[in-house]
Amino acid sequence: MLNVKDIISTLQMVREENLDLRTVTVGINLTDCVSDDINTFKRKIYDKITRTAGQLVATCNRIERRYGIEVANKRISVSPIGVVAAPFNTEQMVEIALTLDKAANELGIDFIGGFSALVEKGMSSGDRALIDAIPQALTESRRVCSSVNVASTRAGLNMDAIIRMGQVIKEAADLTADADGLAAAKLVVFANIPQDVPFMAGAYLGIGEADAVVSVGVSGPGVVKAALERAIAEEEHMDLSRAADVIKQTAARLTRAGELVGREVANILQLPFGIVDLSLAPTPNRNDSVGEIFEAIGLQAIGSPGSTAFLAMLNDAVKKGGAFASSHVGGLSGAFIPVCEDLTIAESAANGTLSLEKLEAMTAVCSVGLDMVALPGDTSAEMLSAIIADEMAIGVINKKTTAARLIPAPGKKAGDHVVFGGLLGEGPVMAVNMGNQENRFVRLGGRIPAPIQSLVN
Amino acid sequence: MNKVLISVLGNDQPGILATVATVINQRQGNIENLSQTLLHTVFGALLLVDIPEQETPESLQQALQEASASMGLNITVHPWHEQIADWHQNKPEIQPYIISAIGPDRQGLVAEVASQLFKHGVNISNLQAIFKGGKNPMENVMVFEIDVPRATNMDELREALAEIANRLDLEISVQHRKIFESVSTILT
Repeated sequence: MLNVKDIISTLQMVREENLDLRTVTVGINLTDCVSDDINTFKRKIYDKITRTAGQLVATCNRIERRYGIEVANKRISVSPIGVVAAPFNTEQMVEIALTLDKAANELGIDFIGGFSALVEKGMSSGDRALIDAIPQALTESRRVCSSVNVASTRAGLNMDAIIRMGQVIKEAADLTADADGLAAAKLVVFANIPQDVPFMAGAYLGIGEADAVVSVGVSGPGVVKAALERAIAEEEHMDLSRAADVIKQTAARLTRAGELVGREVANILQLPFGIVDLSLAPTPNRNDSVGEIFEAIGLQAIGSPGSTAFLAMLNDAVKKGGAFASSHVGGLSGAFIPVCEDLTIAESAANGTLSLEKLEAMTAVCSVGLDMVALPGDTSAEMLSAIIADEMAIGVINKKTTAARLIPAPGKKAGDHVVFGGLLGEGPVMAVNMGNQENRFVRLGGRIPAPIQSLVN
Repeated sequence: MNKVLISVLGNDQPGILATVATVINQRQGNIENLSQTLLHTVFGALLLVDIPEQETPESLQQALQEASASMGLNITVHPWHEQIADWHQNKPEIQPYIISAIGPDRQGLVAEVASQLFKHGVNISNLQAIFKGGKNPMENVMVFEIDVPRATNMDELREALAEIANRLDLEISVQHRKIFESVSTILT
C-alpha cells in the first residue's frame, strides 16, 4: 500500500508544478558511417539515424501515457560531424546538416545536435570546414543544433577559434535577420563540453561513447519553487541549510522519475541507458522558471545582490540530490539561467535588475553559462569573441563547463524585444559595455595556456 | 484447530486490541494474522484466529461481546475455511497501476469507477480517499490501487474512465505504480 500523501505529492508535481521530462535524447555514434564519398556518407548517416531512433517518438508517447509524465522533447545527438565528416568541404558540410535535418524531420523529433567541432587546442581541416558551414547550415535547416568546444581546463583557450566563433555567430545572426538572428540561438560555444549532454543546443555524442545510448534530461524548476514555498510557509525554523535540504530532496525525486522513464525507453528501444542530466531547465512559462525560485527564497528578483550566493547553493544542492538518487548523473546537471527561455530572467533583464555583467558573475556558479543572451545588432564580432573568452576563462579556471549562446539581433538595440518562438522564447536585448568597439586584446589570437590546475597527473 | 475470522468495528479508543486479544488468549486461541485500520476516528480490525477444538464461533463471539460491552464495539466471529478466491489462486500476470480521481466527491464515483474496473477484469487492491472539502482540488482526492491483468486493454479502460471523469466533472488519471514508488521512495 502506498502512502496517499506520497501519491498526492507526486500528482501535484506533475499536475501543478510542471514536472516533465524535458528531453529523451538518443545519442547515435556515426563513426562507422565514415566515407570520403559525400553521397555514401549522407546515405549512411540518414539510414543509421532513422533506423536506430525509428521508434523513439512512439516509445516516448507510450511511456508518457503509462506513467502520466510528459516527455516534452525527443531528440537525437550524433558524433561530432567535424570529426566523422573530416574529409568534406564547407559546401558538403551544409549538405550534411540538411541530411541531419531531413532525418530529424522523418523521425518527428524537435532537435538534432552534433553539428559540432572540438577545437580547444587546434583546428583540423574538417573542423574548419564545419565551422565555416555553420551560418548557412543553421539558416537553411530547422532542427539542427551546433556546438563548438573552444577551451578546456586541460588545453586552455584556443583564442584563434574564439575569434572565428565571434565572426560565425555574427554571420549566422545576420543570415536570419528576419527572425531576430534565430540561427545564432541554435549555436553554443563551450569550454569543457560534456560528452553526454542531452540538452540542446549543446547535445552531441562524445567519441568515447557507445554505438547508441539513451539519456534523459529532467527539469522541474516549478517543482523546486513549490517545495521551497511550502517549506517556508509551513516550517517554523526555516533557514538556508534547511532550504538546501528541501532542494536536495526535490532534486532526488525528480532524478528518480527521470531515470525510471529513461531506463524504460532504453529497454524498449534495446539500447543502453546513459545518464540522467538533472538540470533545472526553464521554459518560457509561468511556474516553470528558474528565476521564480530566486523570488521564492526571498530575493527581490534574479540579478539583485545575493543572487550569485543563492545560485551557488541551488546549483550545488541540485547536484547533490541528483547524485544521491542515481549513480549515472551526467551532462550539465545543475541550474540553467538562459535569459530568453526563462520568463522571469527575461523580465529581470528587461527592467535592468539583471545586467550582462551580473549574469556573467552568476555563470561562475551555474551549470552552463551565458545562455540565450540577445545582444545589440551592432555588437562587433571582436566584442562577441571577447565576451566568449571571458566566459570560457571562468570554465577553464574552475574546471567546469561554461557556454555562450549569444544572439546579436540584427537591427536591434539594447532594450528592444526579440522573439525566437517556441522553447527558445523571447526577451530583451541586453546592453554590452562598449559593444560596438574594437578589441585589440582578442585580435592578438594564439592560445591562452592551460592553467596550473591542468597539471594534475 | 479450527479457524475463525473476527471483525471488530467501533469508535477508536484505548484498550480495544487489549480486550479482544486477552479474551482470545484466555480461551486458548492464537492470533495468526491481523490487520487494523482507522477511518478518521472509526476503528476497524480483521483477525484470523486459530481456536481449539472445543471452541465455537458463537461462544467466542459472546465472550468478546461481553468483555467489550462498555466500549460499544460491534464484534462478529465467522467460521473460516481457507478457501482462496480464484483470483488469488490463479492470479494472472498483472501490472500495478494507480487511479487518482481529483475533485469534489460525487455520488456514484466509487460505484462507477469500480464497475468499469470490474468490467475490464481489474482488481482493486486498495482504495483511499481524502475529502477535506474546499476549493483546493488536491485536498479532494480518491486513490485506487489496482492490479491490471495483461489481458486488459488499457486504452479501452482509459477511455471508459475518461467518460466517467467527463460526466462527473473530475480529473481521473491512470498511472503505473512504479512512478509513485520511484519518486517517493529514495531509499530502497
